[in-house]
Amino acid sequence: MDEDLAHFSIEQARNLGASYAEARLESTTANSLVMKNGTIEASSFDSFEGIGIRFIINKKLGFVSTNELTKKRISEVVEKALKITKATKGLGENTELSKEKAEKAKYEVKQKLKLADIGVEQKIQLLQDAEKAIQNTKVSVPSRYVVLSDTDCTEYFTNSDGAKILAHVPKMNFYYFLTISANQKVTQRYWVYGASGGWEQVLKWNIPKIFTQEVTSMNNVLKKGIKTPQGVMPIVCGPQVSGIMAHESCGHPFEADRILGREAAQAGESYIQLAMKGKKMASSIVSIADDPTIANSYGYFLYDNEGVKARRKLLIKDGKINEFLQNRETAFQLKTKSNGSSRASDFEKEPIIRMSNTFMLPGDYKEEELFEGIKKGIYMKNFMEWNIDDKRLNQKYTGAEAYLIENGEISTPVISPILEVSSLKMYPAVDAMGKNVEYHAGDCGKGEPMQGIPVTLGGPSIRLQGLRIK
Amino acid sequence: MKHEEITQFLLEELKRKGAEDVVLQLGCGETTLIKFVNNKISTTKTWESTNLSIFASKNQKIVTSSLRSFNKETAKKCAENMMKSLGKMQPNKDYQGIAKGPFKYAKEQECYDPKVESLTEEMVDMVKQAIDTAKKKAKRSSGTLEKTFAESYLLTSNNVEAREKGTGLYFSIRTLIDKNSSGYGSCVSRMKNKIKIQQATEHATQIAQLSKGPKLAMSGSFDVIFAPHAMAAIIDRFADNASIFSVESGLSCLKGQLGKTIANPLVNIYDDPTIPNSYGSTPYDAEGTPTQKTSIVEKGIFKNYLHNASTARRYKTKSTGNAGLISPRAFSPILKEGNYQKEELFKEVKKGIYISNVWYTRFQNHETGDFSTIPRDGAFYIENGKIKKPLKDIRISENMLKILKNISALGKEGTQIKSWEVETPTTVPYTLVKNVNITKPN
Repeated sequence: MDEDLAHFSIEQARNLGASYAEARLESTTANSLVMKNGTIEASSFDSFEGIGIRFIINKKLGFVSTNELTKKRISEVVEKALKITKATKGLGENTELSKEKAEKAKYEVKQKLKLADIGVEQKIQLLQDAEKAIQNTKVSVPSRYVVLSDTDCTEYFTNSDGAKILAHVPKMNFYYFLTISANQKVTQRYWVYGASGGWEQVLKWNIPKIFTQEVTSMNNVLKKGIKTPQGVMPIVCGPQVSGIMAHESCGHPFEADRILGREAAQAGESYIQLAMKGKKMASSIVSIADDPTIANSYGYFLYDNEGVKARRKLLIKDGKINEFLQNRETAFQLKTKSNGSSRASDFEKEPIIRMSNTFMLPGDYKEEELFEGIKKGIYMKNFMEWNIDDKRLNQKYTGAEAYLIENGEISTPVISPILEVSSLKMYPAVDAMGKNVEYHAGDCGKGEPMQGIPVTLGGPSIRLQGLRIK
Repeated sequence: MKHEEITQFLLEELKRKGAEDVVLQLGCGETTLIKFVNNKISTTKTWESTNLSIFASKNQKIVTSSLRSFNKETAKKCAENMMKSLGKMQPNKDYQGIAKGPFKYAKEQECYDPKVESLTEEMVDMVKQAIDTAKKKAKRSSGTLEKTFAESYLLTSNNVEAREKGTGLYFSIRTLIDKNSSGYGSCVSRMKNKIKIQQATEHATQIAQLSKGPKLAMSGSFDVIFAPHAMAAIIDRFADNASIFSVESGLSCLKGQLGKTIANPLVNIYDDPTIPNSYGSTPYDAEGTPTQKTSIVEKGIFKNYLHNASTARRYKTKSTGNAGLISPRAFSPILKEGNYQKEELFKEVKKGIYISNVWYTRFQNHETGDFSTIPRDGAFYIENGKIKKPLKDIRISENMLKILKNISALGKEGTQIKSWEVETPTTVPYTLVKNVNITKPN
């Protein structure tokens, strides 16, 4: 990686009149393996390099990228981009960035088992072991679609304030989509695992065991599941459900750019308003964090894509709105400091405010204790269908593996229980939190053009009271 | 194009090293996007890339890769790595080879406009006009104007050599009267003089005005008029279902449905990437087969899965010219228009709902087709054909096949939609669907 190209880009932008410039030089290798119904469809390996340059000229913000890494081409694209940005003149929003420390750092995620040393045969073997695990259950699984992929990204960031950060983060991802059939009925289940680190992280997941558990449980739901009783009753949600709740109805609406309307064009705005900071919106036992610094997490980074040092943010603290996700642009507008939440999915995209690892903090209960005292309720261990409106208020989670809770214990499986609820009713309804935090992976979408970015959604099992199950 | 020589060199290298089927897709493109927020331009972005996507097979083993550094050395190394990788792969017994050329391609019409390619600062004026139009009636507007220029070159080991050049303009606007009252409009065109920015802006503003002060959430079964943005999100997903790859992966409600009635007889859905000035048009697919109009649903009957050459051979049928490098896909789905003027559609509804846009469409079960999607921007209660009041906090909780069966009337004019929610440019008219299940949060 020729770091001088990044410095050169900044100089070029500055020489042409930019008051601020930053460059992200990226070199990534990517591999993936697709298996459909036990057959390896294709193996893909790829590598790419490129540079993304963001600048401010006459207080107007612009961005340009190229994968032709020559000084000549960089000069040409920077000049062209500055010209378009300058043309926004009176119509352009004045952009300034908060003052932040010019960090200088190098960091990398260690790999106990290096991804580069893992051959495609080893990966194929793992997927075939998983396929065998499904066969051993004797459950009918007519469609199995799985993708195992990894990326190894080296990124150099520098800006005209003097920041210089070199990061090397390998990540891996496992996606599966299974169709289980019994008694002329089908049910489906997808999920994603992700981590940063080496191959040892993939081995930790124990993919064959995941498959055994998934198909056995879903087969049980198909064969023995009853119609979900409807009405107001206690609901216990597993970590996958509390994780998606934290992501969708807390993480997204706490993004300061949404609150300020910057994402209205596509990703949407927020039910949270600036004046709500400090107000109570959840029961006192609810605290939700966004923390990119968790070792081996899928949303891991130590410095964000504006060069700001990353840290844990408590979005909701003891039920109160505590902190929003900020980048340097929103921090300047709101007269505060960035909390290191700026990310770009790759060198071709402008960095914008993103979540990292967003999760509900654990409570004191063992999961089984959450069921105690419930005469009749629902345990939604995980889900399939979910969605939420563009202000992040009206959300729906439809259970995949779910059970009736009767007299304090899990009993019969139920078919597709639905929780359709407003965020403002959901968070105050949490009356107990488990100890059992799990971190799950997701790809979060935002921005124009769309940027899919690795994140973690996490939390413990939680109990909610007074909500209606459909 | 200097990169074409390296592409040709790589083909020979791969063949020389024993590859049987090779597909090389060279793409060079540049996109400029202007993003505006709250009546001001918030940022301008330009990104360019040159990329060669490579597919190679040997003994039914498949490897894909790409090349971004164009010289003979890197091409040689790439060929070496691919062949090494192929040696370690396992055969894909389903794989039946790529399309056999040469082919003749129809001359593309209205796919490239030099006036779009050369657009730069003028884009700012186009955005300004839209913001000014919206400002007359709405408090603020946010959106994007995107210009794309792309050239591609396709070369395969089966006698295919083809070139394509295209431009595109995509405009998207959300206008807001207040935090809870918004309208959305978008438009696409390959040609500068056919982009309807004014019309999209006026539509968004009109919806925003109508949606002022939404209070009511309703649930139950309603007759629903879907505006093109809302229906396109559903037809886009449906077209994904028609890919044979989706069917085999469990991602389709069309498994075992060939020849069966799956929709109201007035429903015709096809994929047609041959239409002039269509954002989804392309003269050939990823392996060089000429694209064509393919009927998916004809008078309510499911007629064809979308195939590439390999899947077509396996299913003893013909390729529909829908190849992606690995799996077939729709390029430009169309729900054929009907006979109704928009006003006449509204007159059909005694008590119902008009939905201008949706987002976040997710499935509980792709094989059964159970899904939900959330109305976004204006949604309205209709009584006796007239919009009575704006609604909020509602959700369509439905089934794909039930929606198709309950389509009872179609508007006269199709509109091509591409948006954040509709990834494949999809053309649909205003559509009336009976008995749609509407739910609300508690």
